[in-house]
Amino acid sequence: METSFRKIDIDKYDEDVLNDEDLYDADPRDPAMVLEEAKQRQVAVRSSLAKNDTAGALAVILDSPPYGPNTEQAKEITLSTLLTILNSTKTTEITPVIKSLSQDAQDTLMKYIYKGMAMPGWGDISGSVLLGWHEKLTEVTGVGSIVRAMTDRRIV
Amino acid sequence: MSNVLRPYLAAVRSTLTAALTLEDFSSQVVERHNKPEVETRASKEVLLNPLVISRNENERVLIEPSVNSIRLSIKIKQADEIERILCHKFTRFMMQRAENFVVLRRKPVPGYDISFLITNTHTETMLKHKIVDFIIQFMEEVDKEISEMKLSLNARARIVAESYLTAVNA
Amino acid sequence: MSPEVFSLSQTPITAHAFSADRKDIAVSLNSNDVQLYTRKGSDWTPTETLSEHDKLITSIDWAPVSNRIVTASQDRNAYVWTETTDAETGKLIWKPTLVLLRINRAATHVRWSPLENKFAVASGARAIAVCSFDEESNWWVAKHLKKPIRSTVLSVEWHPNNVLLAAGSADMKARVFSGYIKEVDERPAPSVWGSKLPFNTICGEYSSPAGGWVHAVGFSPSGDALAFASHDSSITIVYPGGPAIYTIRSPSLPLVTLAWTSEESIVAAGHDCKPLVYAGSEQGWQEVGTLDDSSSSRASEGSRSGFGSSSSVGRLKAGAFATFRDADSRGQSSLSGTATGLSDTKLNTIHQNTILSVRPYEVQGGYVTKVSTSAVDGTLVIWDTNEVSALAGKMGGVRI
Repeated sequence: METSFRKIDIDKYDEDVLNDEDLYDADPRDPAMVLEEAKQRQVAVRSSLAKNDTAGALAVILDSPPYGPNTEQAKEITLSTLLTILNSTKTTEITPVIKSLSQDAQDTLMKYIYKGMAMPGWGDISGSVLLGWHEKLTEVTGVGSIVRAMTDRRIV
Repeated sequence: MSNVLRPYLAAVRSTLTAALTLEDFSSQVVERHNKPEVETRASKEVLLNPLVISRNENERVLIEPSVNSIRLSIKIKQADEIERILCHKFTRFMMQRAENFVVLRRKPVPGYDISFLITNTHTETMLKHKIVDFIIQFMEEVDKEISEMKLSLNARARIVAESYLTAVNA
Repeated sequence: MSPEVFSLSQTPITAHAFSADRKDIAVSLNSNDVQLYTRKGSDWTPTETLSEHDKLITSIDWAPVSNRIVTASQDRNAYVWTETTDAETGKLIWKPTLVLLRINRAATHVRWSPLENKFAVASGARAIAVCSFDEESNWWVAKHLKKPIRSTVLSVEWHPNNVLLAAGSADMKARVFSGYIKEVDERPAPSVWGSKLPFNTICGEYSSPAGGWVHAVGFSPSGDALAFASHDSSITIVYPGGPAIYTIRSPSLPLVTLAWTSEESIVAAGHDCKPLVYAGSEQGWQEVGTLDDSSSSRASEGSRSGFGSSSSVGRLKAGAFATFRDADSRGQSSLSGTATGLSDTKLNTIHQNTILSVRPYEVQGGYVTKVSTSAVDGTLVIWDTNEVSALAGKMGGVRI
């Protein structure tokens, strides 16, 4: 007897069911444009860092970050640029730098810290640097920004 | 407790506190059922982004939050073969008795050594911050536990070897 | 005046509703039954148990004028309870009437409309059932609001004009619908939400700022503003007339319930275990403090330092495991600091667990002067809304 029909996932055909693309508003920017922007920012960040302007560099990189599908390369560039900034910041500077950021930027920074921790051995970042930033950031923003890193489907 | 561990545990503590914001949520797929959404994964919108906290490649924690349950998985540090065996035995021992530990999952999530499943029933019947304390304490102790076991294992090996060799000598 | 605290049970209070004179209360103690209590001095004595549901009761509402209770449950049903005289004993008893909800998932939230001739039931069936009484058949019938809801509806709240309905759902949106039913409703006057309002008109749709489920919604007393709290630890106030939208991001855990106390203030509470007060107007909103001033030291979560103590794994070492472990480690009989027990078992807030519901308790001259909250810790607290104390620390970052 034919029994394969028992294994059909009928819930998949529920037309009301939410899919990935329904969970957040798509990025209005074109993926190619986003990539171009990410590259430009990388340059801007380097020049800020050369001037020792960590806060400025962070503000640039955390402003409207790439999210959504088809932007893998832009995401990677942004992450590696950000990790360079985090790595080169002195421990004593971290808290004032975080405080100078806007709330949006703080929330975005939290997302990147988790992303960085999810891929250890990636780039030249060590876990302790990220954990240090995580601790300082949580002191400033409270657990609220961790909650937002969980809820926000615009994954960086 | 080593001071090096502190930022790691602090990050786990704050992330876990943020994730333990659970509510009673009846399944929207199966009628009249309450299921831990993080396990069934039937409705995308009630699952949140999983977060990883890592010290290094060998020590990390994965927290998968959802509306009515969270899954926390720990990868325990294993420096050598003995530690690997001990860790395996230790976690297996506990997971076989998972019902006594209430929040323990019977199987770890792939890639991790031990997993906890905390549901809204747990946060209702137990104090939330005590659950967090429990997990943190577990993480603190488990490394110590394994290195202690390793020591006593070596000590015993020495005694056994000694008594064998005495027998040979005689 | 300090808040009145009543410990009703050890189990969570999933919902509570007061009678009009505030002498009686109906609560659901995380069970299938509604428990009624009567106030005797500073105590609540149980009077009656309403049993009809066979799954957890999620929400209760008590109509103040018509003195009817409506209950919603995860068993997909709702009942309307009316107080009638029992023919045999002559006693007053609550009689249930089943509502034909026609939903196939849990009912999650229920509210009477201001005129008490309708009520709305939110459900996990991605729908809201707007129920009205059908005189001919002598039962409550439902009409469904379905589009464009994509997930479980978590809360509903009526507009003062008895027609508009706000709903917050797990698809991360707060919406304003028309719940106009031509058999029972008068044609509503035009408002900021629109002028022509046939059933199921969508008068507004607002996304939560960072993708959180919308836990609670509420119209301001005039009905011209809408507030909603979402799981991304934020509260949003919408003025459709402006149009202006203000979002306040909280530095702590998500809020799950809210109540307007006047046109310019809101009390909201949630996983933080303390009710917060927000104030503002069409020009902007901000957090002003909390009603729980016992938390003068630092707040509960995140800031607690639990690291220093070296008590053992406690529960882990119970039973068989301890025996084996002791035997194995040879000679080590006393475990390092066995279950010393941490002294910090109590939070420094009045509620010891998530607050699930905050409702107006006393209204004077258009202002809500007292609110009641019920929480997972089984306590019911009545707060004076004028006793706002500033939150210690961390609030410097709040911007609007």
